Amino acid sequence: MTGSVFIETLKQTWKQMVYWGVGLAAMALLIVLMVPLFDMQQMASLLESFPPVILAMVGIGDDLAIFTTNEGFVAIGFFGKSALIFAVYPVVMGMRISANEEDDGTSDVLLSLPISRGQVMVEKFLAYAASIVGVVVLIYLGLQAGVVLGGVELDVVGLAEVTFYLIPLMIFIMAATMLIAVLARRRTVALGLVTAFVIISYMLQTIGAAAEGTVAESVGAISFLTYYNAGEILSQGFIWPHIAGFAALSAVMLLAALNRYEQREIAV
Amino acid sequence: MASASIIEMRGLSKSYGSGAKQTVALSNLNLSVNRGEIFGYLGPNGAGKTTTIRLLLDLIRPSQGGATIFGMDVRADSVEIHRRIGFFPAELSLWEGRAGKQIIHYVASVRGDTRGIVKHADELAERLDLDTSKKVRDLSSGNKRKLGLVIAMMHSPELLILDEPTGGLDPLVQQSFHSMMDEYRDRGKTVFLSSHVLSEVQAICDRVGILRDGELKAVESVEKIMNVEFSWIDVTFRDAVPAGMQQKLGRMPSITDVSANGKVLRMRMVGDFDPLLRAISDGYVESLHIEEPTLEEIFLAYYSGDKEKR
Repeated sequence: MTGSVFIETLKQTWKQMVYWGVGLAAMALLIVLMVPLFDMQQMASLLESFPPVILAMVGIGDDLAIFTTNEGFVAIGFFGKSALIFAVYPVVMGMRISANEEDDGTSDVLLSLPISRGQVMVEKFLAYAASIVGVVVLIYLGLQAGVVLGGVELDVVGLAEVTFYLIPLMIFIMAATMLIAVLARRRTVALGLVTAFVIISYMLQTIGAAAEGTVAESVGAISFLTYYNAGEILSQGFIWPHIAGFAALSAVMLLAALNRYEQREIAV
Repeated sequence: MASASIIEMRGLSKSYGSGAKQTVALSNLNLSVNRGEIFGYLGPNGAGKTTTIRLLLDLIRPSQGGATIFGMDVRADSVEIHRRIGFFPAELSLWEGRAGKQIIHYVASVRGDTRGIVKHADELAERLDLDTSKKVRDLSSGNKRKLGLVIAMMHSPELLILDEPTGGLDPLVQQSFHSMMDEYRDRGKTVFLSSHVLSEVQAICDRVGILRDGELKAVESVEKIMNVEFSWIDVTFRDAVPAGMQQKLGRMPSITDVSANGKVLRMRMVGDFDPLLRAISDGYVESLHIEEPTLEEIFLAYYSGDKEKR
């Protein structure tokens, strides 16, 4: 029946979603509660004294003014290089779409049922995407809890945009993981490749951001992390071309994974 | 329609790798399984039994040839075929963190008829003495296999494909399983059962296919395959085995494997009895016991390739 795999996947995942969401929300809460402890002007002066490469490594671009605000502090402290932290959850979920079940052997039972491989994959993808939304909502609630508990003045809309912008980013990472896992077939190989993909993306983004105005700057454009810049989102709001890019690439990777999964053999 | 074939394999072949590293898992398999029969698929580990079953389930793809189930192509019509079959894998893996009951509901919901299927699953679980409230990780391997059997049978499929289903089950449960298979046959359903438990195949199967090194060596009715030419003969002499008798029998072309145990000579014989009767007439024969070969012995005879012994 349509939706059975989706519902079962949510049932199997909701606890992890809550654990991850609560953990990340606690981090967000902590960062917001730390805001009153810092003098933002001193922070700006300090940041100006740093070489660009260091700033790039912690996710700060050329718009330093944004980081003298409370929102900017939260953006640096929590969202600055958060893509690396937030990459873990979608990687774990992406591995579950095919590689984990194949390695565990449960896919033999599932695929002997009257359901196509494509439907299994799409329903799982949607369920894990829903769990990503759940994690992000919990993170936002953590930020809001910090605002209420700490009495901190924050641009609620701006932080909501930075937070919910995570959804297309995390779904993109999950789609990439799923595609790599379908191609690699084995969990360990897939995990190694995905880790390499994320680390190389991080390095390319850092190089690109640090080498502004040089040829190396264009290298950063290759990295998906370049298209999640908390400071940029705070100042500009949702950057729809970037969101559309994440969505389009996710869809392309889902289609490629579906095609490959339908064609290839299921690992023993 | 009683003899209409449910499974048809034509030239079904599967190999892995290429060139010098190519491994042939299954070679040119031609086999039909008829409606209403329990077909035993015998072979040692690595013979190609699981490969055949995974090909039938479209989990892997043939290198050559093809197969149909219910007249439909196993690849093109896999979803429709899977609706009408039940499957038990040899290496059964289920979702460890879920309770048996939850897995039953999950599988039933994918099959689209939760209420009826779950009710039947409960009946099967009761027959197999399975507690479905426990999580899979808390079940013994035998109970996991019971759960696997429930999942395979709970929708009363037209065709059951079972890969080594009874390993790890205690004898009482095996007996229940055998009864279930008999009931399946009585209801006109078909079972394709891979096993190396030959006594089980002997007890419940109608026909047997013997697979070795990816090649189908024989397909016979269990009755016929039991009716092979060799027999085990126990000759009991009244006093003692006459001197030189063991050696004399051992030289006869129709007799092999002669052993003495007290007053008894045991041997394996092919063909007519007359040469043996003449040879043992030197002694006073108290009794003569003729024993048909077991399926295990037939099985081994096929594997040894020792055709003259059959």
